[in-house]
Amino acid sequence: MKAWRAWVALLDRREEGTSLALFRVAIGLCVLGTVGTVVGHGLVEVLWVDRAHGGYRSLGEGSWLVALAGGPTPAVIWGLVAVSLAGGALLVAGLAARLGALLALQGVLALTWVNGHAGGSYDDLLTNALWLLVLASSDRTLSLSCRLRTGRWRSDDPVPAWPRWLAVLQLVLMYASSGSQKLSSTWVPGGDFSALYYILQQPTWQRFDMRWVAPLFPLTQAATALTWAWEISSPLLLLAFWARLGPSPATGLRGWLRRLDLRRPFALVGVPMHLGTLLVMNVGPFSALSLCFYLCLWHPDEWHAAARRLRALRRGRPATPPAPATASRPGSTARPGA
Amino acid sequence: MTHPPARPWWPHVRAALVAAHVLAVGVAALPAPEGGMNRAAWADPTVQAELDAWAGRLRSLGLPVERAALEDHLWVVGRTWTQARAALLRPLRPYYRGAGTNQSWRMFVAPHRFPARLVLSVREDGAWRDVYVERDPQRRWMGRQLDHDRFRSAIFRYSWPGYGRAWAELGQWLALRAARDFPRASHLRLRFARQRSPSPAEVRAGVEPPVRFLRAQEVELASLREGDG
Repeated sequence: MKAWRAWVALLDRREEGTSLALFRVAIGLCVLGTVGTVVGHGLVEVLWVDRAHGGYRSLGEGSWLVALAGGPTPAVIWGLVAVSLAGGALLVAGLAARLGALLALQGVLALTWVNGHAGGSYDDLLTNALWLLVLASSDRTLSLSCRLRTGRWRSDDPVPAWPRWLAVLQLVLMYASSGSQKLSSTWVPGGDFSALYYILQQPTWQRFDMRWVAPLFPLTQAATALTWAWEISSPLLLLAFWARLGPSPATGLRGWLRRLDLRRPFALVGVPMHLGTLLVMNVGPFSALSLCFYLCLWHPDEWHAAARRLRALRRGRPATPPAPATASRPGSTARPGA
Repeated sequence: MTHPPARPWWPHVRAALVAAHVLAVGVAALPAPEGGMNRAAWADPTVQAELDAWAGRLRSLGLPVERAALEDHLWVVGRTWTQARAALLRPLRPYYRGAGTNQSWRMFVAPHRFPARLVLSVREDGAWRDVYVERDPQRRWMGRQLDHDRFRSAIFRYSWPGYGRAWAELGQWLALRAARDFPRASHLRLRFARQRSPSPAEVRAGVEPPVRFLRAQEVELASLREGDG
């Protein structure tokens, strides 16, 4: 019962909505980009419409929503494209964000299931993000809805913190699951760590010819070892959150973990890895989507502090310390970084 | 003075639902060779090279492993685990499908050492001419569409066994466009050029591994033009 009460209390914690709002805007842009590029490349009726209506392959009835609407015909598919784009736009604007997320989620699910050959893990990553945005209160700040409600673009209204934690958990699950399945002798210790070199040679995902990396083979070996170790050890990131959720000031292991702040080394590897992938490989929106989840690694107070530092840097003055605004809010956590 | 919450049961229901979500996504993320359990695909040289490497490594550790027995054993273990995992996930499927919470993270589990490149050619005046070669900036007919990441994903699949129908349909679809874009062409040919990725030493020495073509299909274009009619 004690563990259950602690779990219930944990999920009752609230914080400002900045991190979730940034996540919402970024995911909304990804929805627009993911569906928009299919429109832009003239592929909507090629990939997602049945062969009988001009598509390149027989698709059957498609997902339950497509089947319910009458099958993968141009009218149904364009309708779903419009619904997805409208959902993405609502998310970016922050207007009826839960409804926007639900529309985008069901639209993207229906479209991507209709032709399972033409997609990848990035579709799962996107729909997982959208489901979290259905559950989250993500438009309390940095949104049109906030502007209409308060007359300002920003608000410090508290929102439940657990959707942000679930986003972090999702990121960890993805890396840990991916890392634990990298069983090739070219990935694991004891092998030659040639995985990244050979992956870069696969024409399917290349942006351009990658034979120029051959003289840099030792660097690709180091990157292979680092990627594998980093993915496998990604669950350690949860310790950073465990440390921050405890009482302040923290002592012992919690205190040490807080000072260590595993989020920094995690992001120091992850962000360049995704940016590098984006630069040399075409794996769809995967890198951009992954980086969206990184926005949830930081507590809203930390985003505000970073924004203050940036503003001060621009003005050439030291940053002003934050006002203790969150401490008195009912149900809020005054501890930054949790 | 603090007021009691309006719905005292809600925090408990929410906690149960979040716990269920965590459990569902955690179980779904358990590693599994789903999608890789196709014995014909195991005959691919990339998979065979991987099995060779593991058999060699286990033998170097002093384990008496026979290459063929290792493959059979892995097949049985993989199939058993895939079936067990599928049974575990079955009651949760509606949640994965309805909420989009599927966890499929089998990304670059092993590099494809013998990758295949799509090559499209048209036959004009009796001679074949390549009009699209994957990642070749000079031969890009239909490249705007075929180079999109979603088409890349589909084309990658069609170089593996088990996609015969979709591969043939892609041929028909491309042939309709070839009949329009190449009025002098009599045929369109689709095939994959498979080439072992050169090692760093081979790249430095300028060694080009041999190319082997597979899954070739030819589509006659004249009848398609008549259909346009």
